[in-house]
Amino acid sequence: MSLRPDQKFDYRHVGYGFLAACALAVLAFLGLLIGAFLDVRQFAFSYLFAFVFFFTISLGALFWVVVHHAVDAEWSVGMRRQLENIACLFSALAVLFIPLVFVAPVLWAWMDSANAGNAVLQEKAAYLNRPFFWGRTLVYFAVFIGSAYLLRAYSVAQDASGSARCTVYNRRVAFASIVPVVLCVTFAAVDWLMSLDWHWFSTMWGVYLFAGAALSSLCVLVLVVTALRSVGYFQGVITEEHYHILGKLLLAFTIFWAYIGFSQYMLIWYANIPEETSYFILRNTGSWNVLSILLVVGHFIVPFLLLLPSFGKRRPGFLCGVAWWILAMHLLDVYLMVLPELHRGGFRPSLMDLLSVVAIGAALVAAYLKALGDSAIYPVRDPRLQQSIDLQN
Amino acid sequence: MDTAGNTASPMYGVGAEFASAADLLRVAKEIRAAGYESFDVFSPFPIHGMDKAVQFRRSPLGRIVFIGGLTGFLTAMALQYIPSAVIYPLILHGKPFGFFAIPAYFPILFETTVLFSAFTAFIGLLMIIGLPRFNHPLFNWERFKGVSADGFFAVIESRDPKFAPAEAAEFLASLGGSNVTIIHED
Repeated sequence: MSLRPDQKFDYRHVGYGFLAACALAVLAFLGLLIGAFLDVRQFAFSYLFAFVFFFTISLGALFWVVVHHAVDAEWSVGMRRQLENIACLFSALAVLFIPLVFVAPVLWAWMDSANAGNAVLQEKAAYLNRPFFWGRTLVYFAVFIGSAYLLRAYSVAQDASGSARCTVYNRRVAFASIVPVVLCVTFAAVDWLMSLDWHWFSTMWGVYLFAGAALSSLCVLVLVVTALRSVGYFQGVITEEHYHILGKLLLAFTIFWAYIGFSQYMLIWYANIPEETSYFILRNTGSWNVLSILLVVGHFIVPFLLLLPSFGKRRPGFLCGVAWWILAMHLLDVYLMVLPELHRGGFRPSLMDLLSVVAIGAALVAAYLKALGDSAIYPVRDPRLQQSIDLQN
Repeated sequence: MDTAGNTASPMYGVGAEFASAADLLRVAKEIRAAGYESFDVFSPFPIHGMDKAVQFRRSPLGRIVFIGGLTGFLTAMALQYIPSAVIYPLILHGKPFGFFAIPAYFPILFETTVLFSAFTAFIGLLMIIGLPRFNHPLFNWERFKGVSADGFFAVIESRDPKFAPAEAAEFLASLGGSNVTIIHED
C-alpha cells in the first residue's frame, strides 16, 4: 500500500536543514574536542548535563509509547508515530554516550583511584565498581533501544499490512518492557547522576528524573506536532481537541514534577541527616540558590498558572510557548543536577555548557529528521485511528 | 393549552413533549437559534452532541473554586507564618525559621488549599443549581414523569428576557411539540 502525500514526510520542507544540523553538530563537537583538551573536568560535566537532558526527552517519549499500548489509548494514535521516532533516538544517544566513557574517572569521582581508601566508598564498592557500572550502562541502552525499536517496528509493519495483530504484539511488548524500563530509569539516574557525589543518596531520585522526562518529552511532542502541522501535515488527524488533551497532560505532569521534587526535598529537609542534606545545602547557597528558586518558580508556578485555565490549552501557539518555556526550565533542572558538583563555589557558566547542548541537540535533530521520512507520519492503518480522529473532550 | 401546577402562583415556563432523541437535538438547536437563553431539555438518557446544541455558557464554578483554593492557601500561610515567625519564633534543629521554614508549611498549605477548594466546589455547586429543594415545578406536570422512561421534553423558562407564554407555546408547537403545557409553581 502506497502512502498519500499527506502521510509521507517530504524533505522539501526541511530544505538544507538536515545538512545544517549535521554541520552544526560537527562544528560543535570540534569545539568540544578543543575544550576537552583545555579543561577536561568542565567538558565532562557539561557533556553529561547535555546528554542527560536529551536522554530524558527520549526516555519520556518511550514511556508515553509504552503507556499508550499498555492502556489501549485511543486519543494519541495520531501522534504516536512521532513519539516512536523520538524514542528511537536512543540508538543515537548510545553513540553520543561514548565521550563520557573516556572522561569517566574525571566525572564520577568514585572511579578515581585516589578515593579508593574512602570508608563510605568501600561500603558501597559492591555497587559502585567499574565492571558492574559499565555492564549496567550496556543493559540500560539494550533495554531502551530494544523496547523502542520493537514498538516502532510493529507499528511500521502495521502501516503496510493493516493487521490488528501488530497492535496485540505491541501491547505484549509494552507490558514486557514496563518493569525493565522503569528499573533502568531508576538505576540510570542513580548511576549517572547520584553517583557524582557518592556520599549522597535519595530514594526519590529515579522518580524525580522520570517526572522531568515525562514532562519534557510531552513538550517536544507538542512542538514537533505543531511544526509538522504548520507545513501542512496532520490535516484532520490532529485537531485542537488533541491539543486540549496535551495541555491537560502538561498541567498534570507539571504538578507531578513539583510533587515529586518537593517530596524529595521536604523529607531531606525535615530529617536533617548530613549525608542526605549535602545535595541541597550545595544547591541552596549563594548563586546556586538563586537558580534553585528560579527553578521552583519557573518550572512549577509559572506553567501551573498558565495551564490552569482552559483558555490556552486549545491554542497551539500558546501551548507551544509554554512547551518552550518548560523545556528551558527542564534544561535548568538538569543543569542544577550536574554542574554544582563541579563548581561548588557557585554558578559559573561555561561556553562548553552551550556547545554540548548544541552538539548533542543538532546531532539528534539530524537523526530525527532522518527517521521522519523513513515511515508514514502517523500510523495510517492503526485500528484505533478513527477514534483518535473523532476525539471530543 | 394545558396548564400544570397552581395557576395562582408564578409561571415557571412552557414545556412540550417530543417524539425522539434526534427530534430533541433538532429542537434544542432551534430554540437556541430563536434567541432563548433560559431553556432546558430532558431525556431518559444522555444524548450525544446535546452539549453543543444547547450551548450553555461555561459554568462560573471553576473561577469560584480557584478563589476558594486561594483563600485556603492564604489562610494556611497566615496561620502558620504568624505563630511560628512573629508571635513565637520556633528555632530548632539549627534550621532557618520564620519565612525560610516554608518547606515545613507546604503539607498544610496543600491540604487547606484542597480542603477549601473541595468545600467551595461542593457548596458552590449546590448554590448554583439551587439544591437542596423539596419539589421542582416541573414535577407538577403529570406527563413529565415519563422523562425517566420514554419522554423527551423541552422547557422554555419564564425567567428568559424573551419569554412570552403564548409566543413560546406557539413556537414549541411549531417545532412539532405535543402536549404543550404552561407550568406554574406550587
